[in-house]
Amino acid sequence: MLNFTIRRLYLLFFTMFLLTLVSFSLSFLFPGEQLVNISGKVNATPAQLVLLAEQYHHHEGFFTQYWIYLQHIFDGEFGVSMASHLPISTEIINLLPATMELSLTALFIAMIIGIPVGFIAAIRHKKLTDNVILTIAMLGYSIPVFWLGLLAILVFSIQLNWLPSAGQISLLYEIKHVTGMQFIDILLSDSEYKWQAFQNATSHLILPACVIALAPGTLFIRLARTAMMEVLEKGYIRAAKSKGLTFNQIIYRHAIRNALINVIRHVGLQFANLITIAMVTEVIFSWPGIGRWLIESIYQRDYTAIQAGLLVLSSSIFFVHILTDFIYAALNPLARDSKHGA
Amino acid sequence: MARNSIYQEETFPSPLIRLWHSFRETKVVMIGFSCFLFLFFLAVFAPILTPYSSVENNLDYLLLPPAWDVNGDVSFLLGTDNLGRDMLSRLMHGTSLTFGLSFVVVITSLVIGVIIGSLSALTKGIKSSFLNHFLDVILSIPSLLLAIIIVAILGPGLGNTLWAIILVLIPQFVHITRNAVKEEFTKDYVLASRLDGANSLRILSYSIFPNIIEKLISQATLAQSAAILDIAALGFLGLGAPIPLPEWGAMLSNGLGLFYTAPWTVYLPGLAILFSVVATNLVGEGMRHALKQSKES
Amino acid sequence: MNLLDIRNLSIELHSSHNSILAVDRVSLSMKEGEVRGLVGESGSGKSLLAQAIIGVLDDRWHVHADRFHWRGRDLLRLTPEERKVVISQDVAMIFQEPMACLDPTASIGEQLEEAVNSEQLSGYFWQKSQQRKIAATKLLHKVGIKNHELCIRSYPHQLTEALCQRVMIAMALAKKPLLLIADEPTAAMENSNQGQIFRLLASLNQLKNMSILLISHDLENVTHWTDTITVMYSGQFVEAGTTKQIFTKPYHPYTRALLDSSPKANIELPAKSRLMTLPGSIPILQHLPIGCRLGPRCPRAQQECVQAPKVKNFHGHQVSCHFSLRDNY
Repeated sequence: MLNFTIRRLYLLFFTMFLLTLVSFSLSFLFPGEQLVNISGKVNATPAQLVLLAEQYHHHEGFFTQYWIYLQHIFDGEFGVSMASHLPISTEIINLLPATMELSLTALFIAMIIGIPVGFIAAIRHKKLTDNVILTIAMLGYSIPVFWLGLLAILVFSIQLNWLPSAGQISLLYEIKHVTGMQFIDILLSDSEYKWQAFQNATSHLILPACVIALAPGTLFIRLARTAMMEVLEKGYIRAAKSKGLTFNQIIYRHAIRNALINVIRHVGLQFANLITIAMVTEVIFSWPGIGRWLIESIYQRDYTAIQAGLLVLSSSIFFVHILTDFIYAALNPLARDSKHGA
Repeated sequence: MARNSIYQEETFPSPLIRLWHSFRETKVVMIGFSCFLFLFFLAVFAPILTPYSSVENNLDYLLLPPAWDVNGDVSFLLGTDNLGRDMLSRLMHGTSLTFGLSFVVVITSLVIGVIIGSLSALTKGIKSSFLNHFLDVILSIPSLLLAIIIVAILGPGLGNTLWAIILVLIPQFVHITRNAVKEEFTKDYVLASRLDGANSLRILSYSIFPNIIEKLISQATLAQSAAILDIAALGFLGLGAPIPLPEWGAMLSNGLGLFYTAPWTVYLPGLAILFSVVATNLVGEGMRHALKQSKES
Repeated sequence: MNLLDIRNLSIELHSSHNSILAVDRVSLSMKEGEVRGLVGESGSGKSLLAQAIIGVLDDRWHVHADRFHWRGRDLLRLTPEERKVVISQDVAMIFQEPMACLDPTASIGEQLEEAVNSEQLSGYFWQKSQQRKIAATKLLHKVGIKNHELCIRSYPHQLTEALCQRVMIAMALAKKPLLLIADEPTAAMENSNQGQIFRLLASLNQLKNMSILLISHDLENVTHWTDTITVMYSGQFVEAGTTKQIFTKPYHPYTRALLDSSPKANIELPAKSRLMTLPGSIPILQHLPIGCRLGPRCPRAQQECVQAPKVKNFHGHQVSCHFSLRDNY
């Protein structure tokens, strides 16, 4: 297990190195002055430019500049947003938790609904239930997410008036901003309307989370179905049947564990896909997250923000990926051995 | 007397023909395939077939509902948008933009990705592990974010959007090709070719490619549905095709402000996107199903 | 009284195009304490027959028989589920690749405890789990695994094939079965390990009077360890009798060819001569010959072989052939 951890940490560091390298090179690739791109001070006077050149060691070689850039990042300094002139690190600290809250909830919903439905489809293979589930899964996978979001707002917010359609929480509640994750903030605050605030935040969260969860959820249905069908063909299921176990016992004790292992592997890979969908959904639902901020930065040509956003978002995705790798290794004894390579 | 087959009534068709046969058996897949061909045909011939021009304004007929509505007009079958442009013509022209361009994008990234992937599968050692990690990094960046960044670097415009999506799809093909080629390399028939004296290039083209082509095609259909959704998403965000061009995503974002008064400007492009993605997915599913069946029998 | 009495069992596969008769009217009977071998090439349907007896075939296969008695009880009148309940109380099965038959994510101890019969335990919840552990340890001792702690803690991929097969036999013994069906138990092992497994099976047969149905394609092993043999070819019944009868005086041309093709059985072979084999190979399921399925390959085949031959019984030595070799002896 130690060996596995060490290999994963090595992978993490190497990937971080590559990511920061890519993000650093972006400042050269974006149009405009490299120094302005990396620091964000658009209206710098010549004297300030000289100061910046000092800070970022502009006259030295590529790798020295890269090293200085890394140091800046470790200090938490990402430069200043070209559009709002606020330091980017504060913006990111405010916005990233909201995106994580939304995406992780959506991932959770997709897993909770998608995986059992996929298992059911595999157990009832070639019968009506299987075909119905497959059709629904294909439709869910094919809907463009922005269209789905608009339709959801139309139906649930406007026609049925069940759920609100924008923002994270109603403006009536003044919840102090501690972590950025609405639910934790509500629990931490000492307002007297805690329970109502909680309900309100939930109603704001459900619709965007469900819209995001549809496409990955249908993908999980397919993955769980394939995994369970493969497991049911295997020899130990037949041996367990001949041992005298009932069908339900076999499914719960052996099949689910083995099929789940195969599915968990793919969950980490799907997170990047999910964040893409989350970005568009945040724009539609005006959710104050990093995706919406990034898209607005594109409109405003705010290159510093794009750089920082890319770095932060990809690092969090990779972090979740490594986390699911660990969960996979904890569940599957075969993956812990050293002969199972990266 | 030597005979090639003991059972004369038994014929063994080539793998591609077998694929086609099992493809043909499922009715749903054939429906999807015919829809796919219909869209392809429409994409190629749309400029000739559209009843009206898709970019010219028709200020007399603003915001007409579709023909089945009370206020609609049969000469504008699916209604018009806020600048009087016929929805049907715009949708048809949009086919060649969203669908047709996605096809071009997939073919280009398929070719480039396969070349890079097979070359990288031939390398070993540190170079190979470095490439592997680099690919992992690129694959973990969300595709939309990557496309947005590339558009930000290159500037807006249709051509740049295409390049952005091509560059986003290439790592997927490289990854699949690399894994498939590496897997085939461990098999014994490649070893036999090598012992016969074939060099790597010959092994790649004669022995390995015919065996991985099915995986590549199934990945290509997946990539095409992703490409259609990405092109539409970029169009929706305003980063894709320039304004007058009737790309489906751009049409959707155009219709947003008119959602209550003219909902068909939002429904129709969305339905078009859904239709083309479902057709592509059906073809892809059929191909994967046929692949599995031919492996089992 | 026969322990197991099967008459004219057939197994059909219904696919979308046509139905294939994978096993065609095979009869089998076993007494208590008997070790019977079921011999045939790969594709002769012997595994299918065993799985049909235990009841683990899925819905695509249709099983019907004239007679299927277990300890005098007629099982054909029961529904498949009831049949499965009756059979699984007294019949156990071990399979070909033991490592693939164990759940890779559960430790051996967990899987053994699952096999222990809950009704034989008594007491409260925690007492039951303790008793289960002791029962699992006892089972491991019965199959000759002395250091049980290491075995119980490990996962299947950490053990050898022979050890896994012993664990499978231990799990089969948990039910105290009257009949153990061993489906090619040693196909995946080296010869030294094969001997261990067969010795274990023989000792279980002697000590517990447990009948064993040993399915194999290896004629030498089967003739050494069994009392009676049934031979099958391509899903059809070929010959059955005591091992001595089959070995010294095979009546069916196919059994004769099997014996001729193995060097150990044929001591009178002159040096450097060819081994005798039948031309051709076993027919595939899509193109089965009508009547006697050995027909296209049989050296004694004539016009009558288009009709499936009936089973003839000569002092306990049964053969199903129109032109048996009995007249030669």
